[in-house]
Amino acid sequence: MEDIVVRAVSRLIVPFIQLYGLYVIFHGHLSPGGGFAGGAIVASSMILYGISFNLEAGSRKLSHDLSSLLESGGALWYLLVGLIGILLGSNFLANKIAGVPLGTPGQLLSSGIIFLLAMGIGAKVASTMVTLFYSLSGGEDSDGNRT
Amino acid sequence: MEVNPLIGVGILLVIAYVFFYLPQSQIRQILVFIILSMIGYALVITVAEMPAFGALNTPANNLVASRYIEGTVGETGALNVIAAIITDYRAFDTLGEATVLFVAIAAAISTLKTH
Repeated sequence: MEDIVVRAVSRLIVPFIQLYGLYVIFHGHLSPGGGFAGGAIVASSMILYGISFNLEAGSRKLSHDLSSLLESGGALWYLLVGLIGILLGSNFLANKIAGVPLGTPGQLLSSGIIFLLAMGIGAKVASTMVTLFYSLSGGEDSDGNRT
Repeated sequence: MEVNPLIGVGILLVIAYVFFYLPQSQIRQILVFIILSMIGYALVITVAEMPAFGALNTPANNLVASRYIEGTVGETGALNVIAAIITDYRAFDTLGEATVLFVAIAAAISTLKTH
């Protein structure tokens, strides 16, 4: 798309959308939002970059290695955080019962594993949405291979 | 209300016959209209049987909701009740959701073969 207005506005607004997405992820236990919503906001900023500048340049920003690392890393992070409960002598994904320090309600570093799980979910949702967008947005060349 | 199961089977057979085997004709159109009207009537009276919005003594207003609202801060340390439910009380369910995302994106990439 060759539109100077869209490019200028999205260049200005993308960092703020990403900052807001990270805010929603990290404040998931304090304010409305959480891992799913924040990850979707971060992913939408990357998709905005892709459609306002260049799809190829956008897909190079999040390479296949990085997205697969985020994707499987998010799931593994969730499982590892869940194992904390077993290591402390309770059930899988246990929070207060296992004795995870909860902190003061209202502080940023509080609520035990909820804070940690939201980070994994956020990374996973963001990488899933971006990868899905770039997988479906590619065209086909003359040989029928997807680009 | 006690209903003979044979009646239900008969109704299903009539519906299947009309929809799948009856040739395109005026009679088929009339029968399809009657059957769809009956299904729509059944759905409407089901909705009419539902409790009023915000009514007490319904499953939506039982002890579970008040337990979450009153106990979330003490039991999880989170102020956001929804975040507490999906990542603490129902964390195992959210692990399943994350797995669904993982499987979906793995299937999409392996099918579309990008990058």
